[in-house]
Amino acid sequence: MNLNFTLPEEQLFAARQAVGESILYCVPADLTYGGRRTENYFVVGEHRWALLEDGVVIESRAIADAEEYKVVPLIGSAVLEGDEAGTKFILTRLSMKHAARYGYIAQILNDISRKRKVRIYNDEDEPICATCGGQLVPGTRVCPKCMNKAAALKRLLSVSLAHSKTFAVGLAVIIAASAISMAGPYFQKLLVNSALQPPAGQSPSVPMFLLGIAGLLLVLVGGEGLGIVKGRIMARVSSEIAADLRKLVYERIQSLSLGFLTSQRAGDIMNRITSDTERIRNLVQELATTAIFQLIILVSASVLLFSADWRLAFVVLLPAPLVAYLQRYIWKGVLWKLFRKQWRVYDKANSFLHDVLSGIRVVKAFGKEEREVTRFRQYNSEFAAATIQTEKVFSILAPISNYLIQMGQYLVLLIGCGMILNKDMTLGELVQFSGYAAMIYGPITWLMFMPRWVSNAIISIDRIFSVIDEQPEVIDSESSVKHSIRGTITFRGVYFGYKSYEPVLKDVNFEVKPGEMIGLVGHSGSGKSTLINLVSRFYDVNEGEILIDGVNIRRIEQAHLRSQIGVVLQETFLFGGTILDNIRYSKPDATYEEVLEAAKIANAHDFILRLPDGYDTRLEENGSNLSGGERQRLAIARAVLNDPRILILDEATASLDIDTETAIQEALQRVTRNRTTLAIAHRLSTLRHADRLIVLDKGKIAEIGTHAELVARKGIYYNLITAQRNMAKAKTEAAVESVV
Amino acid sequence: MTRNETGAVQKPEKSGAGLADAAQIRYLSPADTTFIRTEGRMLNVQIGDQLHAGVYVHCSFPHTNKRIYLSVRTAENEEVGMIRSLDEFPKETQELLEEQVQLRYFAPEITKVLSVKEEFGYSYWEAETSSGLCRFTVRSGGGNVKLMTPNRLLVVDVDGNRFIIPELDCLSDKEYRMIEVCM
Repeated sequence: MNLNFTLPEEQLFAARQAVGESILYCVPADLTYGGRRTENYFVVGEHRWALLEDGVVIESRAIADAEEYKVVPLIGSAVLEGDEAGTKFILTRLSMKHAARYGYIAQILNDISRKRKVRIYNDEDEPICATCGGQLVPGTRVCPKCMNKAAALKRLLSVSLAHSKTFAVGLAVIIAASAISMAGPYFQKLLVNSALQPPAGQSPSVPMFLLGIAGLLLVLVGGEGLGIVKGRIMARVSSEIAADLRKLVYERIQSLSLGFLTSQRAGDIMNRITSDTERIRNLVQELATTAIFQLIILVSASVLLFSADWRLAFVVLLPAPLVAYLQRYIWKGVLWKLFRKQWRVYDKANSFLHDVLSGIRVVKAFGKEEREVTRFRQYNSEFAAATIQTEKVFSILAPISNYLIQMGQYLVLLIGCGMILNKDMTLGELVQFSGYAAMIYGPITWLMFMPRWVSNAIISIDRIFSVIDEQPEVIDSESSVKHSIRGTITFRGVYFGYKSYEPVLKDVNFEVKPGEMIGLVGHSGSGKSTLINLVSRFYDVNEGEILIDGVNIRRIEQAHLRSQIGVVLQETFLFGGTILDNIRYSKPDATYEEVLEAAKIANAHDFILRLPDGYDTRLEENGSNLSGGERQRLAIARAVLNDPRILILDEATASLDIDTETAIQEALQRVTRNRTTLAIAHRLSTLRHADRLIVLDKGKIAEIGTHAELVARKGIYYNLITAQRNMAKAKTEAAVESVV
Repeated sequence: MTRNETGAVQKPEKSGAGLADAAQIRYLSPADTTFIRTEGRMLNVQIGDQLHAGVYVHCSFPHTNKRIYLSVRTAENEEVGMIRSLDEFPKETQELLEEQVQLRYFAPEITKVLSVKEEFGYSYWEAETSSGLCRFTVRSGGGNVKLMTPNRLLVVDVDGNRFIIPELDCLSDKEYRMIEVCM
């Protein structure tokens, strides 16, 4: 992220006067306090900051005068705030465009103010196009302005090369098909000139008549037949190319780091695998069948027209661009807009229906049926009106548009008939000529529509390749080793933030001995989940190191590391399939006996056997045919099947009722024996078996020790535990009172 | 507590008293409330003898009426109290609070749409606004251009900046056609 914009020469002087010779950071402050867009700059020097407007310093202060600098996001804008001896003040106002930038700046100001080392690990990409320098749309890496379309198509081509043989066959079929359809008008001429209306002095010839008829039949049947073959071949090629791309994208996504995957919306990733590849399939199919075919027809029909009679050919071709343009205007300018509006109204009515019908109980409960009927009536008549309008325009424009396409033929007939009367042309030639003329207009119109969907497909190609080209952030180095974990975990001076300007963990140091159970305690947002994500190495630390048995986890092969760590999360996710499949997920080659043992340890065995289908029970989507506690126990069985040396429990029992929790606690106690365990829990009673507790507060370790030690210290842990006890007590008392 | 169609405040009726008791909304009155603008351009509020520093003013109805039911909240989003209507307060306080509302709810009003180009799932806008000429990019679909009332359009760009077309009716035909594609 660019934190050092270049100041215009005339402002540089003022800036230096305000903050000193060395300007460390300089970012735009693009909004005045009153809400005007401006080109102000916010400048940070070694000890002072300054706000510049047109080369004039509006405000400047010493950085150390205040602390707790932070960006406060408002609605549609943000302010940079500071705190001077308990009094807050606004340094500058900014548009949302620079909000993230000011996140870094606030962090820098805080570090300077407290005379700390400035910690900026700047690996967030500035969304700027590498070629044109223009701002990129956040979340994309494609600049629509300077995307190289040819390069994109080339990459598609390289993937398609594997199917070049089938493609070549398809191409041959297309050429044959176009040759056959070009022969149609020739046979028509033959038929007219030699049999129906022979030129003066010749008598009609029966063999020629039969030849003409047979030729036309051949054109008809052959053309259709080849059309079918062509369609089949090209559908196969395009589907295979799309399948290859899907496979590539999917494989890449699986290998990418969690950091990238969580930064993308799940829907976006789904889209790349499904609709983007589908769009490319369409492109390939359209290009390979319709486009090539239309082009061949266009070129050969024009050649034939010109060689038959170049003057007449000109008359036919001259209005073609105009016709094509009109055609495009009618469809794009008028009809599409109308259809779009109709769909919008339809969508609105549809979502209204969906809303009301799924909430029908509420409608009935509040007795609002009448009101809903009136509202639907309104949507319904709006939709009807829109449909009528569209259909009305369509019924007028569709014939006009068809007429336009056939205009060439009228012109040919007009001039051709004159030529026949002057004996410059035979009837057969005219028939042939008008046949070719009719073939011209279709392809031209079609080609006018082509650019839009080609460019849409190219965007898809680029989006797909941007994933395929993405490099995982967490990578195995060449010196990575397989390491059989014994169970010591050491954090040494660990700093980490998802965005590097916001460290979530700060200077974390601790050591866990093999087999020890550690409870992680703290308010939400204190960094507990982040800490365990680092143990699994879903992210790499920004500073410091994490060691397992004394080996830096960056030197342990990721797959091998994670296969030895069992994880149970609050939100269990079970895949479709049987209970057996799900437990076996962590170790696909586990024997039945091992699965039974894992289930038994997890207290799941008994409930599974109560089910009519036992271990063969098929789970519905995310196991919705099981209760929360049952799902959780399956997750525990899945985690322990692999006999992991390190077990991570992230709020594993938080969503369960007390009875179920007790059952699972019992299971967990068995499971955690002799394994290094890191457990997060809000309900502190869950952690009563923990050997030691680590209390995190705002990303730092606040307290560490056994339950008794921490209670004696009367710090954060003590407060948390008293608060929870009081709440439980209040609840019990309330329950007792209500009974009395 | 309800609002009638002109947006004026109506006092609660008897039947609503139960709700009011349960909700316990603290309404601020000019009698015991003083708003102070600090040197650092922040807002402090003094209620009785209690001072709350660095408060923000939130609107309950930012699109339909910014002058009624304003909530004064601390940076930790705790409600200090509510203002039924700005009209109850003296003129200077009204101006001060309006300025605070402007600060919090920033959405330049689009006075003239110069061009809207839709391409590849994003639309590129250029418009004259109450805060100057703005060029911005809007992600298509996903409710980034939405009608807040039948005649008021909210446009949110890819960075999270907001723009308002206060009255769609007032746009020229040409402008309307340009933005219609995005709605």
